[in-house]
Amino acid sequence: MNALQHKYAKDIEKVLAKYPADRKQSAVMPLLYIAQRDGGYVTKQDLVEIGEILDMSTTEVASIVGFYTLYHDQPAGTYRIQVCTDLSCALRGADEFLENLCENVGIKVGETTEDGLVTIEAVMCLAGCDKAPMFQVQSPEGIEYHENQTVESTLALIESWKQEKED
Amino acid sequence: MAEQVKENTVTLTIDGVEVAVPQGTLVVDAAKIAGQDIPVFCYHPKMEPVGMCRMCLVDIGYPVKDRNTGEAVLNEDGTPKIQFGRTLVTGCTQVVSEGMVVVGYSEKVQQARKDVLEFFLTSHPLDCPICDKGGECPLQNLTLAYGPGESRFNYDEKKKNLKHVPLGDLIFLDRERCIHCARCTRFQEEIVDDPVIGFYNRGRSLEITTWSEPGFDSYWSGNTTDICPVGALTTADFRFGARPWEMLEVASICRECPVGCNLTLNTRREAKSGGKMVVKRVMPRQNEQVNELWICDKGRFGYHYASADDRLTTPLIRKEGEFIPASWDEALSLAAEKMQAAGSRLVSVAGGQLSNEDYFHIGQLTEHLGGKAVLYSNMMGGDLTTKVGMGPGSNLADLGAGDAILVVASDLEEEAPLYWLRVKQAAERGATLIVANPRATKTDRYAAHIIRYEYGQEAAAILALSLDRIGDSDLADESFKQAAKAFAEAENAVVFFGSEGTGMAQSDALSKACANLLIATGHTGRPNNGLVGVWDKGNVQGGWDMGLQPSATLFDDLKAAKAAYVVGADLAGDNPAYKQALAQAEFVVVQELHHTATMELADVVLPAQSFMEREGTLTSGERRVQRYYPAVPPAGESKADFAITAEIAAMAGKELESVSAGLVFLGIVGKFKDYADLDYQALAEVSEQWPIIGREDLYYGGTGYANHQGLGVLLGTAAGRGEPVLIDGFDLPDTGVDGLLAVPVTRLYDQGNNLRYAAVMFPRIASSYVSLNPADAAGLGESVVVELNGFQVEVALKLDENVPQGIVVVPRSFGLPISAPTPVVVKN
Ligand code: SF4
Ligand code: SF4
Ligand code: FES
Ligand code: FES
Repeated sequence: MNALQHKYAKDIEKVLAKYPADRKQSAVMPLLYIAQRDGGYVTKQDLVEIGEILDMSTTEVASIVGFYTLYHDQPAGTYRIQVCTDLSCALRGADEFLENLCENVGIKVGETTEDGLVTIEAVMCLAGCDKAPMFQVQSPEGIEYHENQTVESTLALIESWKQEKED
Repeated sequence: MAEQVKENTVTLTIDGVEVAVPQGTLVVDAAKIAGQDIPVFCYHPKMEPVGMCRMCLVDIGYPVKDRNTGEAVLNEDGTPKIQFGRTLVTGCTQVVSEGMVVVGYSEKVQQARKDVLEFFLTSHPLDCPICDKGGECPLQNLTLAYGPGESRFNYDEKKKNLKHVPLGDLIFLDRERCIHCARCTRFQEEIVDDPVIGFYNRGRSLEITTWSEPGFDSYWSGNTTDICPVGALTTADFRFGARPWEMLEVASICRECPVGCNLTLNTRREAKSGGKMVVKRVMPRQNEQVNELWICDKGRFGYHYASADDRLTTPLIRKEGEFIPASWDEALSLAAEKMQAAGSRLVSVAGGQLSNEDYFHIGQLTEHLGGKAVLYSNMMGGDLTTKVGMGPGSNLADLGAGDAILVVASDLEEEAPLYWLRVKQAAERGATLIVANPRATKTDRYAAHIIRYEYGQEAAAILALSLDRIGDSDLADESFKQAAKAFAEAENAVVFFGSEGTGMAQSDALSKACANLLIATGHTGRPNNGLVGVWDKGNVQGGWDMGLQPSATLFDDLKAAKAAYVVGADLAGDNPAYKQALAQAEFVVVQELHHTATMELADVVLPAQSFMEREGTLTSGERRVQRYYPAVPPAGESKADFAITAEIAAMAGKELESVSAGLVFLGIVGKFKDYADLDYQALAEVSEQWPIIGREDLYYGGTGYANHQGLGVLLGTAAGRGEPVLIDGFDLPDTGVDGLLAVPVTRLYDQGNNLRYAAVMFPRIASSYVSLNPADAAGLGESVVVELNGFQVEVALKLDENVPQGIVVVPRSFGLPISAPTPVVVKN
């Protein structure tokens, strides 16, 4: 039993039960999701251990992390604000929104606030084009959409996270 | 239509050339057959098409049919009316159909190729002048053919990337050059099942990475550099070593294992080497019946021993304890005199990598002098493969559904990588694979049935597989019975037997049990049926065929020898017990390439030529006789082994051919029935192979070489000639020991004397170690003392759950005194 199996015994068991034993590789995505849940990113050790559980090479597991944008291989803020800057959103002012947001929060795109709470990222179309500016938030609680945003509404959101953290 | 179904062929036209191809053929392959090259990057004829690069776009038209009658609609001039699609199609993913018209030379298609290339070049460095692939690079050629003279894209936005990324110690990646065709990753996954490199990220950020430990460290890694369509992957061994067009190609054969992979040696004169001709790299040479387009890294990188600096260049004679350079005459006459005087107490020991011609002469000379000629191998059964081996017309690539393969006592990928690959592929085509081995190996992954006998019980396990004896065995569970049934009922069946955990006694029993099984189930005397020895050295089969045999009493033979004539074998380096025995021999003649532990004990040393410096033939485990050719001039005064033996013979009163290997072969042909129809010409014959490689696009099959110099010939067998075949009775070896049992196994990257000369291989050779099951290792540290056959050796300890309890796995040739299963004590 490796560390992941110790830490998430029940969750992993539940996931594995969904797939036939000779197709257990199919569980790679849910297991990566579990591994990433608490820390917000997948460590090299997680890759090795998931490989062990599923009989896959570390490299095969890693290539899934590399391919999907919602898996991360680097630590970041607890809340990742992922602002869509694709064409439709850009037409509705997403670029400007992102720039102003960053300025107000005091970080650049891709960076994390000093308190480790927030990371701001630019991403491709999230299928919320008509409600731009919009972003999704990826956090230990899951993924949440925020549409028709202004810098003020977003700052308020960040403020509420801070409160939550302090309480 | 009825006729086509019957013949299973489809007729189509490609750029005006009509061609008939088997149903299911892909358009790009059909074009190859028609002699029309459609450029490809990601497509490789040995791998599933993925349609990733779009280079192979063509225009495809289909004959128009009348909806009501189903009849072909004709143009006014009576030709069938063709309807082209609206878009171009990737020829690598499109299967041919009757009457199809493929167009590659239209303006539309040419424009598409230009466009695709333009995209590739937006981020390609085009640093051809300093690129290893320059000169044999399809991207370079196609850029010349279709590429824009100037880019329309902004140079500043060109992606800059790392140019020397070590993916492991052997392979370097140039990230800028990679065109993301996935040939390398698909090769590692689909073909050799070792997916240690993969894509990471996507879009413009896509890159090849490895996350495995220790990186891209695969027995097969060099092949990815052959099939990489650009200079993105290079080997640590060859990169920046030479330009492809400067090099000559010389055909050779690998002798590192019994597969006998066909090689091309690329040579060139080099200032660094004083203007001498040197081998710059070793490449696979296509032989679809042996190694297809592949070789393992041992075969590719291990060749440096043959050109090492410490090669012996003059004969040496020991005078007052010191080696003094001598003339050939002096050295030969001294050797001849002592060998002649030894008479029946002459022992000749021939290493497992010599040529057939060498063995033949060693046998002739030793017989003439009344001595004993010994083949230096720990395996038996080389006579059985001449009786019930795979005969002419065999090709492992033909085995599939309805056939069975038994692999016994072998970690096949370690012992003979290409056999492993071909067996795996047969299993994937549907052949029933039965793997019988005391511990788990990679071969298990493809097995339908796995038999786990105890070390020492290999022959008993195989005997029990004969249906009439199955009841006697306690191994006989349901899967075992199914395995026995599958083997008995298979249309064709092949047995590979190796040397996992066996000494000569075990090997003798095992090989006989295997031959019995084949005879009992009627799997002899026909193509694709029979016994294959996974020999412990490359030309052991040739040694047997030339009448030499291993000796169970070699220690005693040597101790009592008045003269020992050791050719191409490092007895003392492999096993300290031999060292003691040789030290007791009265006079020792050593014929070698370099300084070895055995040479230290010699009275006369005769410098031999390496395989690159001479010609000869080898006989593979399947008993394919193959020729190799000289590529570089000999080191110093060295001579070919057969020539040295012939000159000793001349001084001892026996005429043997001393100049031409081809003439020696005539002697072999005259003496041995199986070789009777052969000559050097027949061995050099070639016929067209599929896939066709080496045409205009340069790399449809990679940069491996087309074969112009010979596919070799499979020898006939006694069973094939209808002669009665009897297998002697044998005793099942007794293996009962109290306490730990040490068993010898083979590792691909062994110590021996070859690999240590290859700079890139050297770090891959483990130092001396033994493996134990963790349950047996209580209280033992990382370094242990092993008491074996009266010797004490200090080695590293590895823990391995695959090792059965009570067993100590000892790799061969690592300086531990083991040649058979032996009781052992392991302590701190
Ligand atoms: S490294 Fe070579 S083979 Fe691998 S994806 Fe890149 S171009 Fe293709
Ligand atoms: S598989 Fe065997 S014969 Fe082929 S290259 Fe490797 S060691 Fe040489
Ligand atoms: S373009 Fe932003 S959500 Fe679609
Ligand atoms: S898409 Fe056909 S060769 Fe790449």
